[in-house]
Amino acid sequence: MRPGTKRLWVPAGLVALIVLLALLAPLLGLPDPVRQDVAQRLAGPMPGSPLGRDEFGRDVLSRLIWGARSSLAVAFASASIACLFGTILGLLGGWFRGLGEFLAVRSMDIVLCFPPVLLALLVVTLLGPGAGTLIMVLSVLYLPGFVRVTYAEVLSARSHDYVEAVRALGASAGRILTRTVLPNVAGPILVQFSLAVASAVVLESGLSFLGLGVVPPAPSWGLMIRGARATMAQAPLLLLWPCLALTLTILAMNLLCDALRDAMDPRTATARPRLRLLDRVLPGLVPPAPNAEAPEAVLEVGGLTVEIATPRGPIRPVEDVSFAVHAGETLAIVGESGSGKSVTATSVMGLLPPAARPVAGAAWLEGRDLLRLPEPELRRLRGGAMAMVFQDPMSSLNPVHRVGDQIAEAIRAHRRGVTQAQAWSRAVDLLRRVGIADPERRARAYPHEMSGGMRQRVMIAMAVANEPKLLIADEPTTALDVTVQAQILDLLAELRRETGMALIFITHSLGVVAEIADRVVVMYAGQVVEQGSVPEVFGAPLHPYTRALLAAVPDGDAAPAGIPGVVPQPHAFPVGCRFAARCPHARPACEAAPPALEGAGEGRTVRCIRWAEIGAEKAEAVA
Amino acid sequence: MGWAARRIGVSLLLVWVVASIVFLAIHLVPGDPAELLLSSGGVAPDPGAVAELRDRLGLNLPLAQQYVSFLSGVVRGDLGTSLVDEYPVLDEILLRLPRTLELIAAGALIAVLVGIPAGTLAALRRGSAFDRIASGLAALLLAVPVFVVGTLLVLVFAQILRWMPAGGYVPLAEDPWRHLTLLALPALAIGKGLVAVVFRMTRASVLDALSRDFVRTARAKGLSPSRVLMRHVVRNALIPVLTVLALHMGTLLGGTVLVEYVFNWPGLSTPLLRAVEARDYPMVVGIVLTISALFVLLNLVMDLVYAALDPRIRHA
Amino acid sequence: MRTTRRALIAAGAGLPFLRLAGAQAQRTPGLLRFGLSAFPPSVQPWANTGTAAATVKLLIHRGLLSYDTQGNLRGELAEEWRNEGAEAWVFRLRPNAVFHNGEPVTASDIKWNLEQIAAERSTAYYRAEMQGISRIETPDERTVRIVMKSPVVTLPNWMASYHMGMVSRRSPAGQPIGAGPFVIRSQERGTSLDLVAFDKYYKPGLPKLRALKLVAYADENLRVAALQAGDVDLIEYVPWQSMASIEADERFKLDTVDGPFMYLLFNATRGPLADARVRRAIARAIRRDDIVKAAFFGRGSPLEGMPIQPNSEFYDPELSKGWRYDPAEARRLLAEAGHPNGFSTSILATAQYGMHKNTAEVVQQSLADIGIQAELRLPDWATRVSLGNRGQYEIAVNGTSTDNNDPDGLSNLVNGSLSPSYVRSYGLRVPRLEELMAQARAEFDRAKRREIYRDAQRVVLEEAPIVGLAWRSQGYAMAREVTGFKNMPGSLSFFSGITLEETAIG
Repeated sequence: MRPGTKRLWVPAGLVALIVLLALLAPLLGLPDPVRQDVAQRLAGPMPGSPLGRDEFGRDVLSRLIWGARSSLAVAFASASIACLFGTILGLLGGWFRGLGEFLAVRSMDIVLCFPPVLLALLVVTLLGPGAGTLIMVLSVLYLPGFVRVTYAEVLSARSHDYVEAVRALGASAGRILTRTVLPNVAGPILVQFSLAVASAVVLESGLSFLGLGVVPPAPSWGLMIRGARATMAQAPLLLLWPCLALTLTILAMNLLCDALRDAMDPRTATARPRLRLLDRVLPGLVPPAPNAEAPEAVLEVGGLTVEIATPRGPIRPVEDVSFAVHAGETLAIVGESGSGKSVTATSVMGLLPPAARPVAGAAWLEGRDLLRLPEPELRRLRGGAMAMVFQDPMSSLNPVHRVGDQIAEAIRAHRRGVTQAQAWSRAVDLLRRVGIADPERRARAYPHEMSGGMRQRVMIAMAVANEPKLLIADEPTTALDVTVQAQILDLLAELRRETGMALIFITHSLGVVAEIADRVVVMYAGQVVEQGSVPEVFGAPLHPYTRALLAAVPDGDAAPAGIPGVVPQPHAFPVGCRFAARCPHARPACEAAPPALEGAGEGRTVRCIRWAEIGAEKAEAVA
Repeated sequence: MGWAARRIGVSLLLVWVVASIVFLAIHLVPGDPAELLLSSGGVAPDPGAVAELRDRLGLNLPLAQQYVSFLSGVVRGDLGTSLVDEYPVLDEILLRLPRTLELIAAGALIAVLVGIPAGTLAALRRGSAFDRIASGLAALLLAVPVFVVGTLLVLVFAQILRWMPAGGYVPLAEDPWRHLTLLALPALAIGKGLVAVVFRMTRASVLDALSRDFVRTARAKGLSPSRVLMRHVVRNALIPVLTVLALHMGTLLGGTVLVEYVFNWPGLSTPLLRAVEARDYPMVVGIVLTISALFVLLNLVMDLVYAALDPRIRHA
Repeated sequence: MRTTRRALIAAGAGLPFLRLAGAQAQRTPGLLRFGLSAFPPSVQPWANTGTAAATVKLLIHRGLLSYDTQGNLRGELAEEWRNEGAEAWVFRLRPNAVFHNGEPVTASDIKWNLEQIAAERSTAYYRAEMQGISRIETPDERTVRIVMKSPVVTLPNWMASYHMGMVSRRSPAGQPIGAGPFVIRSQERGTSLDLVAFDKYYKPGLPKLRALKLVAYADENLRVAALQAGDVDLIEYVPWQSMASIEADERFKLDTVDGPFMYLLFNATRGPLADARVRRAIARAIRRDDIVKAAFFGRGSPLEGMPIQPNSEFYDPELSKGWRYDPAEARRLLAEAGHPNGFSTSILATAQYGMHKNTAEVVQQSLADIGIQAELRLPDWATRVSLGNRGQYEIAVNGTSTDNNDPDGLSNLVNGSLSPSYVRSYGLRVPRLEELMAQARAEFDRAKRREIYRDAQRVVLEEAPIVGLAWRSQGYAMAREVTGFKNMPGSLSFFSGITLEETAIG
């Protein structure tokens, strides 16, 4: 079940109930809603009329339920018609541009120029009042909303990479529209629909109030309010019932549509777990002390474990991760997607989403445990002593601010007393330093005016602006093409040499690791499986997974050997070694108990109970 | 500048189309203004008097001729005179329009002052008690019709509590305090719908912005939460909110009828409604022309503001 | 008032909108604030521009005659009048009557007025009636002699109408100069009018008020709220649902009169409605009490005959109940006319006015009870009038008030020989009735006149060219301190503005 579907049931149920009541009205055995009994007008609750009688002595409850039929029918019909035609119009207009777009958008502008009441007035006067006319008027009134929403989304979707990609693959317009654009549009459309229905019900009551709506004596909530308003002094409750009905219905509709939207949005955040004091200390009651023997590490991570609350229960995408990186050193963290490398990095930076939190371990930077620092202090370090560069530079830069401003902002956040002008000129310097030509002009540009490579340079400039001791680069070149990749790697290496900062480079590409890293940490399914210097690990891999990875790299003309099987999912991690299912060297003992991290020499660790044996086997085979 | 000129040209075209449609429509609708005028109070007028009035009002001229004279009048800045009391239409509009605009502006102000902070807070504390209560209130405000709210406001504040006068109008220059007092309740009534819309839109927009990567970057830069919020989250979130607000304000231009009626606020909606009821053609067309021209102008201004706020649009 | 407010604010008193209860009700002595039901579109003296305008016209204009609070004719610009023979009427003008520009009201002015009203290019309400004048003589500056083409008993009633205000013949175009007790000093267009007393008004000591402020409140609830909040001292058109609470409130008094009435019209050119029996059946089937309760909150009374006021000399208690509720009789008549199982038809009214709509709903229900299935048609008022004028309906609901309490005013509603209008039935001629009404108009003998109208009532009950439904209450509400204002009886309720010259406050 998708997250968020549970929240769907309550409002859906409510709406269904109301609709059901309305549909079943003829079968409920209610008194005739138009039967007058003027002698009993404005009577309070009485047998047979639990809500009393209206100004003509008609039963209020019956009129309420029958009124639901007309009010809801009109609202849903007009919203649906508007939705259908509006979406089509918006899709066509936004996709095909040219004359179609002009007509679509401008005709909606014409509709919007009409005051709704005037439009209703004119149409009703021309065609005579009644539900049919009302539906027509309301449909026209809500058309522009749908057209605009769809049109805007289509416009923005057109420029997205994935749409370009699908087009390049030769997909037809229709296919693209329905399979790529429409699902993205669905959310805002649904919201628009809920607003339209809610608004339609309210507008209908307003039009009926003016006498332009459903023809009496047929009941409708709007008419009931009109009648009740006149007798407000004598029978105030009479006004209450239709208002209550209206409010409840619209409320239910809104909740339903919000819930629908959330259920369809894959980025729904789950509930934030409340942080208790105990959780800050337990588990891992005593945080591990920093390794006093090792030379000063800029960052030392020990036994880091992160837990995320999900609807299916808590998962640990990172478990017992330890590594260290020293000044002037490049540490690569390599692994497939889902291995937990990014989560490790973000937890060090303190940028975990609210649902995730570290439950064990420590991360020492300059003698302080980042995981236990209060937020204001962490903030001082972020962007200052430690900085991060992210994977997708386009979405990582704010589109509405100039590039220079965004860099200057980073500078001013960490240095008091720096003026905007000073920060700006420093930003220009930084841009020059990261290899952007004509930096004065470029600084005034917006992110969308730059290429991917340039944007990433900007990100790097922003990150090194405050001379960090530690720079974490999370797959910074994955989104770039190969030539630019090389340039960025060179740049990073250069900066590291110049400033002596520690660089953590996260990637899934072994080639990159070989090129720039001094040490490497191999992660699999949330755990560190091997760690050591790059020449050692690449030259003589100890863990079966590392071996498999290296073997998978195409070498000359040989076909790449893939690794059979799939990475286990976080909520279904096996008890024992997580790689066992795919490991050619697995034994029953491997799956029985979780393997510990074992030392394998100077600065080398490996998580495999058979690493020595396998090494011996391999040596024999070679020999 | 070619872009701006084109937009203006299109806008003028739009206005002309709207005015023409209304001109045609109002003439097609059954009902004779001269007859109606002389039938006030439910009496039967003398057919001779009716014929005479029709003649005097130029209603017997062919429709095409009336249309041409109307268009040429508009170009000259003359919107004709009311069929009911011969008052120049333009004067009536100039008299009443500022009052409607004032009402809408006041309502929008309330909506912005209340809706944006509340929506932002609700988004930041998503799922909390505040969020739930505020969202519930917004839904409630959307649901209850404005004329009911208006009536209740008058009932409570004017009749029961005696805090405010029961509606009416006094020019700002004459008595600013009373003017503002009289503005308060109708502005609240107008604002109630706008607040709900702005709140929902802000909440959704801020939620969306919060999940964007550049917010993560801003946090990674070590910016203070308030700075992240203002410069990165809200700044980006405001764009759709303002668009929606402007859209609603535009449609309010002709739609303040119910509020003006309930509070006796002498804006533009009421003469429009009366004019349609009385088939006062020049007044109807004149007012609709003004409203649509204003709306188009508003759109133009919003486009320019939008471009200023979102540089991607400028260069597209 | 200002000092107190400042003191409050300075003292840091709480709510910014707090007003002293006393401050709101504070009155300027000699100034009466009147809440109108609409802003008068125009105060041209002779064209019909609605009943709100009527009040204003009665303040700034005066005609030859008017009515006293009992509903009897009295002199205004003319201090006495009499008829000479069947066709001539002589009016003697007051010596001290002057227009607002200071010039005396002379016979030449009167003659000019009447000629204007009767002119070919006139849009005056009484145009047709004034065209019935053969000649006007002005033997001297204070005497006007009007000779009609045929005898008209009700000429004085016409002269007393608020559509017959006399203005100076030297009035500039578009700015009529009247002779009434008040003068318009300024207006806030669409909102309010400010009037001041005319110091040279011909009745010494009047008007008692120094000034009047007329404020338009289109929404009836707001009008009442304004009175209760003390923003105005007097309101017209009190909504029926508020009458009870105003009566119960000892700060105010309510003055009501049953004047206007609701009635049904028919298109008698085809179908079952052409048969008088069917129309009578309909008349007997209507639950008039329900109409009074539902549409007027009990403020009114059933109208079961020709619309003649109970306090009129022409009223006949027996004949006034000719159409009383009797569904059995209704069914019998229907069967006799050949429709034992009823038939389908439609009722035209308007959604725009609540009383029309509510009346129509009750009528629909009543007809359904005797087997007549009527569909409601509720367009807006303008369309309804248009449809009515062209006879595009079957049954129609209308509400009106006659010009004065004389039954001759009803001939407009029942005379089928006149051109089609939404106020009378379509294609329905009752020659006997037309004869009787014309006779009565020329009959100067009161006893004979009464007899003629009795016959007329019988014919109306028989032929049902209209079907009376209900009288509705017309109410004015005012603060206790207001004295001298009176709601005039019957149809003259709309003339009540005349009593404002004797109204005082405080």
